[in-house]
Amino acid sequence: MSFFRVLTLFFLTSLGYQAFSQERRFISGEVVDASNSEPLVGANVYWEGNSTAGVVSDLDGKFQLEAIDFPNKLVISYVGYEKSVRIISAKEAEKSIRFFLKPDEMSLDEIIIQERRPDEQVKNMEMGKSTVPIETIKNIPALFGEVDLLRSLQLLPGVKSAGEGTTGIFVRGGSADQNLVQLDGAPVYNPSHFFGIFSVFNPDGIKSVDLYKGNMPASFGGRAASLIDVSLREGNNKQIRGEGGIGSISSRLTLDGPLFGKNSTFIVSARRTYADVFLKLSSDENLKNNKLNFHDLSGKLAFVLNDRDKITVSSYQGSDFLGLDEEFGLGWTNWVSSAAWSRVHSEKFFFDLEGYHSRYSYSVEFEDPDNGFEWTNKLSESGLKAIWTFLPDSKTELNWGIHSQYYNFAPVDLEPAPNSAIEEIVTNPKNGLLNNLFISGQYAFSPKLSVEGGLRWGLFSQVGKGVDYLYEGGVPGPDVEVSDTLSYGTLEKMHAYQGLEPRIAFRYLINEQFSVKTAYNRNFQYIQIASNSSAGLPIDRWILSGRYIEPVRSDQISVGLFHNFNQNRWEFSVEGYYKDLDNVIDLRNGAQVLFTDQVETELLAGKGWAYGVEFLLRKNVGKTTGWLAYTWSRTWRKIDGVSRNEAYNPRFDRPNDLTLVLNHEFSPSWSAGLTFVYTTGQAVSYPVGSYEVDNQSVPLYSDSRNLDRFPNYNRMDASVTWKNADKGRKWRGSWNFSIYNLYGRKNPFAYEFRTIYNDDINFEPSDGEIISAKPGVVMTYLFTFLPSLTYNFQF
Amino acid sequence: MAILCWSCQEEVTLPLGEKEELVPTIEGYWTDQSVFNEVRLTLSKDYYDSLEVTVIDDAQVSITVASSGRLIPFIFLQGSGLYRPANPQDRAIVGESYQLNVKWKDNVYASEGLMLQPPKVDSVTWNYEEERVFRDEGYYIKVYGQIPFTEDNNYRIKVIENDTLKNGREDYLLFDDTFGLQFFEEGLELGYAFEENDKVRLELFRLNRNAFEYLNQLVNLLYNDGGLFSPPPQNPDTNITVIQGDPEVLGYFVVTPVLSQTVIITDEDD
Repeated sequence: MSFFRVLTLFFLTSLGYQAFSQERRFISGEVVDASNSEPLVGANVYWEGNSTAGVVSDLDGKFQLEAIDFPNKLVISYVGYEKSVRIISAKEAEKSIRFFLKPDEMSLDEIIIQERRPDEQVKNMEMGKSTVPIETIKNIPALFGEVDLLRSLQLLPGVKSAGEGTTGIFVRGGSADQNLVQLDGAPVYNPSHFFGIFSVFNPDGIKSVDLYKGNMPASFGGRAASLIDVSLREGNNKQIRGEGGIGSISSRLTLDGPLFGKNSTFIVSARRTYADVFLKLSSDENLKNNKLNFHDLSGKLAFVLNDRDKITVSSYQGSDFLGLDEEFGLGWTNWVSSAAWSRVHSEKFFFDLEGYHSRYSYSVEFEDPDNGFEWTNKLSESGLKAIWTFLPDSKTELNWGIHSQYYNFAPVDLEPAPNSAIEEIVTNPKNGLLNNLFISGQYAFSPKLSVEGGLRWGLFSQVGKGVDYLYEGGVPGPDVEVSDTLSYGTLEKMHAYQGLEPRIAFRYLINEQFSVKTAYNRNFQYIQIASNSSAGLPIDRWILSGRYIEPVRSDQISVGLFHNFNQNRWEFSVEGYYKDLDNVIDLRNGAQVLFTDQVETELLAGKGWAYGVEFLLRKNVGKTTGWLAYTWSRTWRKIDGVSRNEAYNPRFDRPNDLTLVLNHEFSPSWSAGLTFVYTTGQAVSYPVGSYEVDNQSVPLYSDSRNLDRFPNYNRMDASVTWKNADKGRKWRGSWNFSIYNLYGRKNPFAYEFRTIYNDDINFEPSDGEIISAKPGVVMTYLFTFLPSLTYNFQF
Repeated sequence: MAILCWSCQEEVTLPLGEKEELVPTIEGYWTDQSVFNEVRLTLSKDYYDSLEVTVIDDAQVSITVASSGRLIPFIFLQGSGLYRPANPQDRAIVGESYQLNVKWKDNVYASEGLMLQPPKVDSVTWNYEEERVFRDEGYYIKVYGQIPFTEDNNYRIKVIENDTLKNGREDYLLFDDTFGLQFFEEGLELGYAFEENDKVRLELFRLNRNAFEYLNQLVNLLYNDGGLFSPPPQNPDTNITVIQGDPEVLGYFVVTPVLSQTVIITDEDD
């Protein structure tokens, strides 16, 4: 075809197109509710700047509007819905167009108002409770762009992080294993991926997260420091909807909708990383065969049986896997399932029944012809909880119930590979049965003075099948001989503890915007992790209370002032607390806990205490939201056999802790987030000298633990979100660009004290001739100026 | 791996505390072979001090035979900076307990150990192996032997390659019976890729538990990177007690049999 013929054809088609568009006088379309696809009757439809010449949608949500020049902006507005403005091209005008309007209540500010009553912090009885709306969590600048629930909680007053990049949290002086992290009522034993860098919760599938910093309701218990209560979202009952995201590390997708009609719903969420996909692209054969990934899969079904009964079933499964060259593998899995039945007997009487099963397992495989093995371990907790709620009058609320828990910590299972010279390791299982009765009540003496009291009674029994060792002199130790071994049959009682756990709280309302509260709370904890490192590992060993290990006891007293102002737009609170801990454990020097059947010989036990003041100024509504938090706190441990038997600060004792979280919505399309964190450095031990032994230069440490401090930690993160302006389309996308550690601060992750050869920290003696050697300090730091980009979508 | 790519390291200088009094370090070996019998006494130093440690040369060192009370005196040898038995014929005898005695200034230290029976080493072989996970290609030595003991199974193997002791933190070959001892009968492979004509000397020690634990704790400390996944650093628990004087002392005392063998790697296993 010659150039001339092409040109002729182009002009002909262009003219024809123009002639066609001039002939068409109207555009047609339909306006529907984005949340359920139902037609919206009476929506205003007009060209921008010409509202008087508009039309309204009919009974079917349909409209016809006289066309004008294209492209042009068409405006759709409807009371109670967000206005939609969409550029209509001539091509689009040829067909009927559907416009999806979002109800106003789907906007961020309104969601926050719905989740918390504006004056809730002043008027309710709760102390030490923090609620962060999921939408707020999603707006916090995130490491690798991965929105992270537990890392967001670290920004709250009274909550400390273990260190850079980890999701382990320490609440009011409690250690990481003293937090009960539960998903729809079922405990999650290892709530982290990638050795603690990410938490297991996919934010798209989460409805809410409540953090109780010690003052748990009587219906909860079993952990000394906190309750992190995460609820999975229920699906909507109108239509199939979806949301997800594509990020630097992982992608995620959530689908929800009606299941069998409007009385049952479903939601499923999935997330997977793809680091191993990149590894496969590597030209290095060693890297190519490595694997590193995690995934999450969660789902929830909800059935409304009738006006009074509702049943929900939820499940979560998440796994990590690290594989090296198909010869070494480490994987771990959480599988948590729960079911709940809620019944409304009457307007004053309610009943809830929950059952759950949580299982955590890990596996280490080593494929070696001489020394190969597969080492697996698993633990599980099953529970049943029944709660009755009675509201006799407007001033009184009563709750009571029963909670039974069964723990099964399987024996270490180390299976040698065929022909392996390694021998099998045999240990005994550990089982526990914990039955709790609880009752709590709330009563308003007057409009100003209210009291909430609760009592939880726990009866814990370590039960068979299992073995107890008796030691010479009665006290276990690494050098103490075993004098006898006692074997127990299935469910036979081995050792029992019981304890009352009272809670009481008072609130005095000084005026509508100002209240004073005080609370006391006792908790017992019957399981602990036998570890003395600050960050958890997937192979950490959980242990049960028994003959030699007493349950942890925690007593906390707190006082607080709560003030709202500027029509509840701002919240201010000051809370002070003192916590006393008993029977916390540590490990003796050089303890080996993973394979021993006599873990009690490796443990030390002692006391702890913590105190602090937490300030929080928070703004929940408006274009700018966020909070400013400052905590001053101290944490102590005193354990015989550690630090000359004197009190010492654990690593997470960080007296000053300042956090600023800001989010600002510049326009419907643009918003930005900013986070700033400042904390005192971690409490650590530096050497006070060195010495030579066994041909090694060895750092010499003081017998007193953690007398030194890392430098202060500070970091600023920022993010910008751009949402495609709402054009009434079903697909809504947004881009999030975030930078972790905006000003590239080198916050130390670790200091290593070692000999530096040839003035090169990477030089090893085996690398070549040693010209010089000197004692040195090597700092490791993570994540300086780390940008990430995420695309999020909803449909 | 992706995470590790985002971590960096650099050398820094931290202000560190100092000991008011330098701490004496005692390292004693009492074996059935006189060449190994020695006691080294040194002082700790400031961390950044790159000079050699100070050797204590004015201490009184001896070993007492528990059953007879016989005292075996040690003398300081200026050349080596070590204390050795005045009579080189004195050595440890299986089944006997020994006490190390050190007196320095006003301080008196002591430590005890039991001389255990050595295991049996049947043979030492080597084979050329292709590259494997965590292991380069090269000649690998296997030690075959028998350990008939039901207790006190705490062993250390030292490897000396071409007259140089392998003494990095990764070179500590310490094993007990946690995973059984069958692997010793079926051949314990040493994790070194040797080359042809390498002269390799192996030394096998059977330790008392407290000395074995000292070495385990020492290795843990050498691997302690000060990070979140490491336990708080602590000095290894010494098995030396202070009888009198300043309560601080470092180091350990070992009573052990020694089995040693030297091989020269050739292209075919002998």
